[in-house]
Amino acid sequence: MNGIVPIALNGFREARRNRVTLVIFVFALVMVLTVTVSVEFTVATFDRVMTDVGLGVIGLIMPALALFLSTGLIPREIERRTIFMLVARPVSRSAFVIGRYVGNLMTVGFLLLVMALLFIAQLEFSHLTSAFGGGLHVAHLVALYGQLLEVILLTAVAFAFATVSSQYVSSLVATCLYFIGHMAEDLFQLSERSKVLPLKALGKALYYVLPNFDRLDFKDRATYFDPTSASELLGATAYTVAYTVLMLVVATAIFERRDFK
Amino acid sequence: MVNAVETRGLGKVYQLDVLKGRKRVVALDGLDLTIPAGHVLGVLGPNGAGKSTTIKLLLNLIRPTSGSALIFGRPPSEAEARRDVGYLPENPAPYEYLSGAEFVTLAAQLSGLKGAECRRRVDEVLGQVQMTSFAGVQIRRYSKGMTQRIALAQALVARPRLLILDEPTSGLDVLGRQLIREIVLSEKQRGTSILLCSHIIPDVEALSEDVAILVGGKLVRAGPVSELLSQQDAEAELVFEGLSHETLDGLRARVLQTGRRVVLRCPAAAAQDVILRCLGQKATLISMQPIRLTLEDTFLEALKAQGQKVGSVIE
Repeated sequence: MNGIVPIALNGFREARRNRVTLVIFVFALVMVLTVTVSVEFTVATFDRVMTDVGLGVIGLIMPALALFLSTGLIPREIERRTIFMLVARPVSRSAFVIGRYVGNLMTVGFLLLVMALLFIAQLEFSHLTSAFGGGLHVAHLVALYGQLLEVILLTAVAFAFATVSSQYVSSLVATCLYFIGHMAEDLFQLSERSKVLPLKALGKALYYVLPNFDRLDFKDRATYFDPTSASELLGATAYTVAYTVLMLVVATAIFERRDFK
Repeated sequence: MVNAVETRGLGKVYQLDVLKGRKRVVALDGLDLTIPAGHVLGVLGPNGAGKSTTIKLLLNLIRPTSGSALIFGRPPSEAEARRDVGYLPENPAPYEYLSGAEFVTLAAQLSGLKGAECRRRVDEVLGQVQMTSFAGVQIRRYSKGMTQRIALAQALVARPRLLILDEPTSGLDVLGRQLIREIVLSEKQRGTSILLCSHIIPDVEALSEDVAILVGGKLVRAGPVSELLSQQDAEAELVFEGLSHETLDGLRARVLQTGRRVVLRCPAAAAQDVILRCLGQKATLISMQPIRLTLEDTFLEALKAQGQKVGSVIE
């Protein structure tokens, strides 16, 4: 798998030099900083408000950024023909896809890390300097870990669609899958209650086939400092890894067969 | 010694209007081509003749619908087969957010060069294409000629045994063209096999040992340049004064210009007969010049023979 590392590092460098990414990053940091401000408008349950606002902002911006970066990457490479000089090298197409995926993940992972550190710093700062808040709780870390799993999976899903379609189509489909994936448990419950057999089967099929982002969402638990078991976290991690690998296998299989005219 | 490139019955058909399933574009049809190691092959053809399709098939950018291709004995779909290939595409599009040096370094790394060797080779090729002083500037700030030079540098950086150059001199000024010709010649002397596609026929004639002419996706002429040129009938250009219109009618010659001075072109073998007949009509021979046939003449003749096809064949 020669070439994965240079392609991944170059992808990270590309995102760093992309003005749109930088603007979104600055916007995200400003939004995370509003956590402190939000407490000024709160009369009680400061912990919950800080947690909700902080994780909410991260939970909104990170998927948007992951979708923006991952759906445009490969279609843009093909459209601009920058791909010609890369895949003509002794690099397999699967190495190209994986390298691009890892580079994207490095970018969103780095942004998530910075936002998470800023969020944690605010929690700790408010805890130390005022009567507000109980500081960092393990439930916060679990929620942030869930967010990381979510962007890993979302990036892989978006990548798989971006290898076969344009940026617009892949971003539309991936966005729909993201929202449906967050309603996976509700879909399952609905199908369980349905008396129409085809609907029941369809609901269950969607639950098992589509990416289940609901399973990776621990933000509600962070709000109430509810514990998450190790087995649940392990299950979420295994699910993310398995689904991501599957998506990358699909993406590379499609990409191997593509003609670059 | 194994051939640098070998294609047998190589073909590419694109399906148009997939839903109706009727229209097919035959971009390349049964191409048999061989480039022995160390040879330079020039490929000529009008737009849509299949030149770029051939190159893309050799680089695994597209998949053949028939036939096969080998690069140093291995199919291009194997990544390792492309390790010895340097490719300069037509209108190259490098990453604009990178500087020239960064882009060439990325290309070197993808070819497996590492550490000090990588840095040394990058510096070398940047010097070779005279881009050392602009190496740190982002490619988005480059002119077309500078971009072309950086793209050539990335093709050369891994010391390829086969160079595939698609329109290497297009859009370049005289100096740029001269530089690229010099680099191609030095690579040729180093023993690199070269596949050169160009619309600039004098470049192909000057740099290539062998030429292949593609028209409408088919190979219509191929062979050493000297052999192709000698296949054509030599001609002579004659200039007369005082030649009457009546005399012109019976001559085995084409009239290029009439008036006080008449310019005729005829097969070299018929020149003596034409001269004697004209002199017999009291005309004065001003000059006689053998016409040196160029590759352009061969190319144009091949085009005419194929009905001057431009573009691919749509079925």
